[in-house]
Amino acid sequence: MMGCVFDHRTYVKNMSDQEKTKIEVGDGAAIPNPEDRGLVSAWWIALVGTVSLLIILPMVKPDPYLRILKFVPDGILVTFKVTVFSILLAIVIGLLTGLGRISKNRVINLIASLYVEIVRGIPLLVQLFYIYFALGRIIRVPDIVAAIVAMSFCYGAYMGEVFRAGIKSIDFGQTEASLSLGFNQRQTMAYVILPQAWRTILPPVGNEFIALLKDTSLVSILAVSDILRRGREFAAESFNYFETYTMIALIYLFITLLLSKIISIMEHRLSHYERR
Amino acid sequence: MNAVDPIIKIEHVNKYFGTFKALDDVSLNVNTGEKVVVIGPSGSGKSTLLRTINRLETINSGTISIDGRDINSPKEDINRVRMELGMVFQSFNLFRHKTVLENLTMAPIKLKKMPKKEAEKLAMRLLEKVDILERANHYPIQLSGGQQQRVAIARALAMEPKIMLFDEPTSALDPEMINEVLDVMTVLAREGMTMVVVTHEMGFAREVADHVVFMDQGAVVEKSTPDVFFNEPQHQRSKMFLEQIL
Repeated sequence: MMGCVFDHRTYVKNMSDQEKTKIEVGDGAAIPNPEDRGLVSAWWIALVGTVSLLIILPMVKPDPYLRILKFVPDGILVTFKVTVFSILLAIVIGLLTGLGRISKNRVINLIASLYVEIVRGIPLLVQLFYIYFALGRIIRVPDIVAAIVAMSFCYGAYMGEVFRAGIKSIDFGQTEASLSLGFNQRQTMAYVILPQAWRTILPPVGNEFIALLKDTSLVSILAVSDILRRGREFAAESFNYFETYTMIALIYLFITLLLSKIISIMEHRLSHYERR
Repeated sequence: MNAVDPIIKIEHVNKYFGTFKALDDVSLNVNTGEKVVVIGPSGSGKSTLLRTINRLETINSGTISIDGRDINSPKEDINRVRMELGMVFQSFNLFRHKTVLENLTMAPIKLKKMPKKEAEKLAMRLLEKVDILERANHYPIQLSGGQQQRVAIARALAMEPKIMLFDEPTSALDPEMINEVLDVMTVLAREGMTMVVVTHEMGFAREVADHVVFMDQGAVVEKSTPDVFFNEPQHQRSKMFLEQIL
């Protein structure tokens, strides 16, 4: 749920095999690992179950299930809009924060660390309200923009930790080799470290993406018509609370299951140079 | 002293790691074309000394000049100096996300603005020299340790450095791969490259070195020709060291 409150989600596990560092994240959906048969089958069972229910329920009982299925999808687009823009912004903020956190410049380092500390200490819901109303005092922005700013502000801090861990996971010998050839620190980061760190960073970023998508349900409180908001609107009119939230849950599950698969495939593609 | 200024000039260098004195008033000159092999027990500061030459380690006092340029002066662009200093590491440190060919062409293309075609031609020539041409399009992880180290030597050579620094280049290798790397280094030495080599390979030192530098407890104890060093070491500590390893 409110993933932002937990700060122990991200940790680096250093496997005995010299550089097979993986950042494991305990939130988001479980990303299927091709070698983990158990998880793969769990994924299939969940997907088949979800899809069957999404098809069968509206067929067997069109009222209200089919009506819900027709009413809610407007919200899917909004949810995706908020998620995609927030994650893109969060990646930019995260990269800057991560670089700031490893910077030798004390001021930059302090600012980045302070940002992470503050964001980690405040629940996402509180941040959402705060930024929404704080922004509202200065400029009048559309609700969806306020939601995106708040989400990326929160997730940027977590993304910063992911980037920092990813960069740190790259063997220092790579940096030394690059410096010894005559590359400066910035070039070393751009040509040698980040292209390699990206592979370590992608799975947790994918996880953050899924966690963020789920957390966007919180923006329904800010009058943004996402999936949950559309569902609440429907339920408030029809009083079909149980049926509505069943469908909402299934839709979220369907989306996260698909996303976790896509990320797992991307992760596999990105590690081509690690294969013999 | 020679009439020609030494290309590497190390004067009264001291270096601490915390309270541990890693380098103790080290002075050492290396002339153009000279091959210096640094040996000594582990923890004697030989790797540290080598790494101060291209400023991978900073020093606390003293001066180090490369080609007349004080590398620790804030006025010098260290990256320019490093382009002229090739370095080979114990753990190879090839760029894992780049193919062998890309490992060699990256620095010349980005740093010297060499056209890609030209850089690739140079790279292929160097890969042929270290006898690994057929692996040009492989990734480092697909190569054996000995092959990786030969690629690492070629990568350093691709910047056409004036000096090559070797930091225990064969220490991480399986015994059967040590010679293929030493052979490449010997060829390089024969061609007149200026080389500073930290190694435990006494055979290589004997055969290739103009001078052997023996270090112990952060200090240079002895600098002699291999002949003198291995047959009649000038110092008690050198003698003891040789007795232990031979």
